[in-house]
Amino acid sequence: MTVIFIRTFIIFVALVIVMRLMGKRQIGEMQPFEFIVTLIVADLACVPMADVSIPLVYGLVAVFTLFILHQLLSLLERSGDVAKRIISGKPSIVINKDGVDFKELKKNNMDVEDLIESMRAAGYFSLDDVDYALFESNGKLSAFKSCSESEKGSSLPVLIVNEGKTVERNLPVIKTEKPGLNEFLESNGTTEKSVEVMTVDGNGRVYLKEKNEKFRILQFPLGDGVKW
Amino acid sequence: MVKTIISMLAVAAILVCGAIYEADFTKRQFEELSAVLEVLYEKTDAETAVEDDVYAVQKNWVDKKKYLHIFIPHNEIKEIDLWLAESVKLVRDKKWEDALSKIEVLKELTEQIPKTFRVSIENIF
Repeated sequence: MTVIFIRTFIIFVALVIVMRLMGKRQIGEMQPFEFIVTLIVADLACVPMADVSIPLVYGLVAVFTLFILHQLLSLLERSGDVAKRIISGKPSIVINKDGVDFKELKKNNMDVEDLIESMRAAGYFSLDDVDYALFESNGKLSAFKSCSESEKGSSLPVLIVNEGKTVERNLPVIKTEKPGLNEFLESNGTTEKSVEVMTVDGNGRVYLKEKNEKFRILQFPLGDGVKW
Repeated sequence: MVKTIISMLAVAAILVCGAIYEADFTKRQFEELSAVLEVLYEKTDAETAVEDDVYAVQKNWVDKKKYLHIFIPHNEIKEIDLWLAESVKLVRDKKWEDALSKIEVLKELTEQIPKTFRVSIENIF
């Protein structure tokens, strides 16, 4: 027991030194390679800490080697734009003045539901709440608030069409069936297939974005008493 | 930037020095152990070995293993302890053939263990 206590103490001190040397960014805003370092360090530190048959040096050497790699990548990252892009990636603008940019979303292996989720986490509940939204290279969503946001009533939008497919589970929320939805789309000069994203909020406010088009704000005829 | 470079180089230097020292230290320790085992092997082969000869090897090993524990997995060190302990008994009972095979294994271990720390394809992968 005492041996494990001493080993844990040594590994802990080593980790504190390494984490401090790696900088504050390590804790909150991790770049991909920093995330990897953190994942590996946790495991490397634990194994020799608890297994007394492994020399403590093995854990320490691995932790300090990761530190060197981390510093090396940090230096490379700072050496120029190209290196930074290769190592950490670049911010990706997923919402612009024209609406959701699906090309960028796909590049980030995301769909519109992931985007809506990230926006909610950032405090925006509708796709047109922001003029610009971008995923930083550390995975955080940054958004530039839309000027017209205050004019809207507060209601949570639901996703109705996602990349040309109706999200059938959400149709009961707007008390509509597929033919009704198709009729609405046709009356606005579009079809389900050509819609990239369509959301409707409790006031019937529609955010509709077609392929290669700027998004439009429309009004959906919600039935009497349909509100949330 | 300067802090990053200095800290990186300092840690790299410590690791490189440590690696060189480790390679040299383990090689030296096992070479010395191998030499005393060779003498024991010859004496056992000539059937002139006595219990004290094995104890001498054991004592030599105990002095070395204290520091080898820093670099070598403790299970491998324990393995040498066990083979040596068996050799003591076999030499005491004058079971020369059995003792020779144990010492042979010990010699092999002293060759193989340092090899596992060398930079080589088989060790890396």
